[in-house]
Amino acid sequence: MPGILIVAEIANGKIREASFELASLAERIASGTGRAVKSLVAGQGVAALAEDFAKRGGGEVLAADHELLGQNHSEAHIAVIRAAIATSGADLVLFSNTPTGWDVAPRIAAGLDAAFVSDCFRIDAEGGSLVFHRRVFNGKLDATLSVSGGPVVATIQPGATAPFSGATQGKVTPLQVPLAKDKLRARFVAVKQAEAKGVDLSKAEIIVSGGRGLGAPEKFPEVIQPLANALGGAMGASRPVVDAGWLPHEYQVGSSGQVVQPKLYIACGISGAIQHLMGMKTSNYIIAINKDPDAPIFEVANLGVVADLFEIVPALTKAVLAAKG
Amino acid sequence: MKIMVCLKQVPHRDARLDVRADGTWIQEDNIKFEINSYDTYALEEALRVKDAGGAEVVVVSIGPDRVSQALRTALGMGADRAIHVKDPATDGSDALGTAKILAAVAKQESPDLILTGFMSEDANFAAVPPMLAELAGVPHTTAAVKVERSNGTLRVDREIEGGAYEVVELDAPCLVSVQTGINQVRYASLKGIMAAKKKPLDVKTAADLGLAGKVGAAAAKVKVTKVAPPAKGDRAEILQGSTDQVVSSLVHKIKELGLL
Repeated sequence: MPGILIVAEIANGKIREASFELASLAERIASGTGRAVKSLVAGQGVAALAEDFAKRGGGEVLAADHELLGQNHSEAHIAVIRAAIATSGADLVLFSNTPTGWDVAPRIAAGLDAAFVSDCFRIDAEGGSLVFHRRVFNGKLDATLSVSGGPVVATIQPGATAPFSGATQGKVTPLQVPLAKDKLRARFVAVKQAEAKGVDLSKAEIIVSGGRGLGAPEKFPEVIQPLANALGGAMGASRPVVDAGWLPHEYQVGSSGQVVQPKLYIACGISGAIQHLMGMKTSNYIIAINKDPDAPIFEVANLGVVADLFEIVPALTKAVLAAKG
Repeated sequence: MKIMVCLKQVPHRDARLDVRADGTWIQEDNIKFEINSYDTYALEEALRVKDAGGAEVVVVSIGPDRVSQALRTALGMGADRAIHVKDPATDGSDALGTAKILAAVAKQESPDLILTGFMSEDANFAAVPPMLAELAGVPHTTAAVKVERSNGTLRVDREIEGGAYEVVELDAPCLVSVQTGINQVRYASLKGIMAAKKKPLDVKTAADLGLAGKVGAAAAKVKVTKVAPPAKGDRAEILQGSTDQVVSSLVHKIKELGLL
């Protein structure tokens, strides 16, 4: 019988929230297509985590326990995932689109000669067949995709699905896979934590961020910083600004920079690539100023201004200063 | 040492994105194309190895005539050779089909290192690099922000969440996909562009690569059935009016939030 395999992920000694999101998605697809749900929990000393996941949407959990799986040795994890797919007979394999998921999932798909769809925000099971929804062109367009023939591997955008909330009668089955460190051609060495920030955006109540629309590095002190100062807030930036060397990495807001949740976030000249949105979309209130009315930033903003930021921002700075008296 | 760099030519980041008549992709006629930004960082990383002590840098791209422009640019920046897989039979390949084409090129070239961008700016799949590594039988890592080489191994910092990095060691030959911002990408100099005209640019077909009938739309397991602007259900309220009116509404809102 065809089935779904959830590849769960462990971070900081716990099953990640994103894995419970996969469980709720898998439950929905399972009921729409008559598949059974199984999961893989791989790590070192995972018995309790596997039990927990089995009871919270993981179905039959294959638990792979090995010293090498306690760290992110990608080739060790790939070997175990392959064994789990073979053991489970799954024809749909779900990963989260995390740094681990995007690293191994396409490789698993290629090894299976399987269809692969990444970073889905939704998967529908329509009349037994699967329809995938994801963004393209950095969030500017939605794409609908179908797959044909054989197994399917997909990665799902974290946060796009509500996590599994019920209770299930799962069970845990150990999965033994021989692994040897000297066979690994890609070896995990260490995690380097983010360095202490000179700019700690996580504590700012107001953040004024600038993007590629600023056009030049000197526009940050000229246009963005004055508004941030007037509001008593901090200055931030989007990735292209940091990539271009206009501002240091400590200013970067996004999934690969700082994830922020201020009371007010003002995005100036930022189009709203997904990785930026992941870093600021839970802000309490978002104002976006951008020339392009179709910019994805307007999808997460509460209030928008479609105009040249060089007209609006200096005028706003002046008005804020005047309002403060 | 030989480095193979995979380049994709994508619509220019400021190009108009109009959905084409069949609704399955954008209108690609009459828009500007450029080298995928992630791939320019991969090329720069390869050229730095070349500058530091020697490497042959081979750039590879798949697509119609316009792609030769991207390859000429890469040659102008300092790549030594280019391979253009130009064959309508490859049109409509999915990520796996693309990876099969590049793997066939890698088999002919036997590079010590394959460098790619982390993802493409159009499809945003981030799938081809790990797939290519699998098909080429080499280890890989993704989203590199620092690459150091010593004695047949590479030490790579890969970007993970929250500003942290994972350090990974890879045995060569291997594949590394590169994140933007890893370096500052050079421009092609006039001298470089002139020199590029004399550099070899080989054109290959699917049949040359032993892939006739194995790639392209008919072999694709994944098909885009529709693209459309995202649903505009809960978009921002857009302020209308003069600059003064807009600014006074913004100040009013900031006051309402209790922040002024």
